[in-house]
Amino acid sequence: MKKINIGLIGLGRIGRIHFHNCMRLKDARLAAVADTSKKARRFAKSHGIKAVYEDYRELLEDPAVDCVVIAVPTFLHSECATIAAENRKHIFLEKPLARNVKEGKEIVSKVQKASVKIMVGYPLRFSIFSKVKNELDQGHLGDVVSAFAVNIWRGPFLSISNAQGNIPLAVPDWWFNPELTGGGALIDLGCHMINLLLWYFGDDIISVKSVLGHRYNMLFEDHAVCFIKFKQGISAIVNVGWYSLERLIKVDVFGTAKTASIVAGPAKASSHLLHTLGIKPLPEFASFYRELDYFVKCIINDQNPIPSAEDALKDLEVISLAYKNEIQRD
Amino acid sequence: MSVVSLVKVGNYSELRKAIERSFELIGFHFTQNLRKIVVKPNMCCYSDYSTGETTDPRIVAELLDVLRGSIATDLQISVVESDASAMKLKYSSKVLGYEKMCKEKRVPLVNLTDERNEEAKVEVAGHSYTFSLPTTIKDADLFINMPKMKYMLGTEISCAMKNIYGCNPYPKKFEYHQYLDEVIVALNKIMKPDLCLLDGIMVRGKCTRKMDLLMASADPVALDTVAAKIMGINPKRISHIVLAEEEGVGTSNYELVGESLQVFARRFPKKGMADKARLMVGRLALSTLRNLGFKTPPF
Repeated sequence: MKKINIGLIGLGRIGRIHFHNCMRLKDARLAAVADTSKKARRFAKSHGIKAVYEDYRELLEDPAVDCVVIAVPTFLHSECATIAAENRKHIFLEKPLARNVKEGKEIVSKVQKASVKIMVGYPLRFSIFSKVKNELDQGHLGDVVSAFAVNIWRGPFLSISNAQGNIPLAVPDWWFNPELTGGGALIDLGCHMINLLLWYFGDDIISVKSVLGHRYNMLFEDHAVCFIKFKQGISAIVNVGWYSLERLIKVDVFGTAKTASIVAGPAKASSHLLHTLGIKPLPEFASFYRELDYFVKCIINDQNPIPSAEDALKDLEVISLAYKNEIQRD
Repeated sequence: MSVVSLVKVGNYSELRKAIERSFELIGFHFTQNLRKIVVKPNMCCYSDYSTGETTDPRIVAELLDVLRGSIATDLQISVVESDASAMKLKYSSKVLGYEKMCKEKRVPLVNLTDERNEEAKVEVAGHSYTFSLPTTIKDADLFINMPKMKYMLGTEISCAMKNIYGCNPYPKKFEYHQYLDEVIVALNKIMKPDLCLLDGIMVRGKCTRKMDLLMASADPVALDTVAAKIMGINPKRISHIVLAEEEGVGTSNYELVGESLQVFARRFPKKGMADKARLMVGRLALSTLRNLGFKTPPF
């Protein structure tokens, strides 16, 4: 069977994770890489990638490439996905779909017109958080009354923090410009949690409100609490923030029969060791692998992957309402 | 012998008193002819004071009031920092609350990376180094270092002397990491602070803890020696402390005044044997993988 040829656009933080995962896929091979950084291109070449481009448009015109993994800054999502669709490449696009609903709709429309497959990267859908979906589908929780979703850590202000010290990592300038990111912690981390909640409970929503926090004195919110009321009566709270050195991702779904609680805290030292030794990847990396593997299988089996661009557009619509309906402080 | 003071800060309303007491204990008196004063807090990442990683701007603000109260109200005070490999001051100063504090206190926040500077040559351990010396620091009548105390890979601790590393205007500081100990000492030789005031209210060891400590000394080597002891590390095993003493930056012979060292040594969240063992195994595993020809981690 012919392997799927992947083109990877963007070798930043998430792009590097996809790079390593593409190298491990059984049904696909990493055929081409594009990045504006010379260092990143050198990195790709040193790992045996022959087709390495500075301009991603050239990669998208490469006939050998079947599909693309787009891991570029958010402000480039719309342009990059649109050109990919025009070049009839299947698309795996990093979250969020775009900076705003308008750009998101453009992507959906272009992809539909080109009849290519598109999947938006939401790795939590391929992690232990899928257990809640199974529980809901099995009816184990009874009627769900409320839910609580938390995603708090460093966001773009990532550092390697352990008992030996805290080593900050460089933050690219675009992260500080909300016009380029589409917002702050709410769009960056909130989209993960909102995507999960819409997957769990459906996308019929009555109201969305939010409280946005600016601890970091920037133009964007560095933390947010979002209140969502679903049509079927479920009330949900989404709590996200970029302020903590320690990572916590958590979902509680409270039903009349049972409560489902999933927590993904910081990885244990033993997990880091097994990861370093190459025995077992960290859970967060494993879910990135699983989503990419699923995407490739969808192409092979001619299935439409989920979360789709339409799903991710719904997330953006909820986020847009949250920004619009900010509860003002006294 | 250099004097190092340890003062317990009950709460933030007592901060000014604690600062004044620290200076009194080490016998540091401000002369009335001081005009240009430079204050260097630690702003070298995007984690604010509450994590124990960076100097609390409220302490800097109180110090500015102490200086104005003790010397004169029309002092030319500058708060300084430079860009680093992973941090740009134009962003970190906002995130950490320095932009706001400096505006409120009407002092300029100076990015040394953008400043005028001149070449300074220095020799450490027989090696010659050339750095850019910012004129803001060179022309200062009083240079105050306001570090944190924390662990750091490569140098064991980051404290008073390591904070001066941030006065090097060159932003790509990771290029010096190969010779870090010598570079730290070299920079302390050309930009020796007159006074060090360590913010140990929130500290970061293996985790964050409230320690309510202010440390002061006119000698960065003595201050780092005491800090190392509080952090559970033998200062004789910290290369830049040993080298700094050999190079005449200061002395590790200290006289403690104020609170007892043991009170804070018990509170500091020290890394344990397990943490050290994990680091060793991790390093060994990585080097083994590289030796086996792996260019990237397998996952």
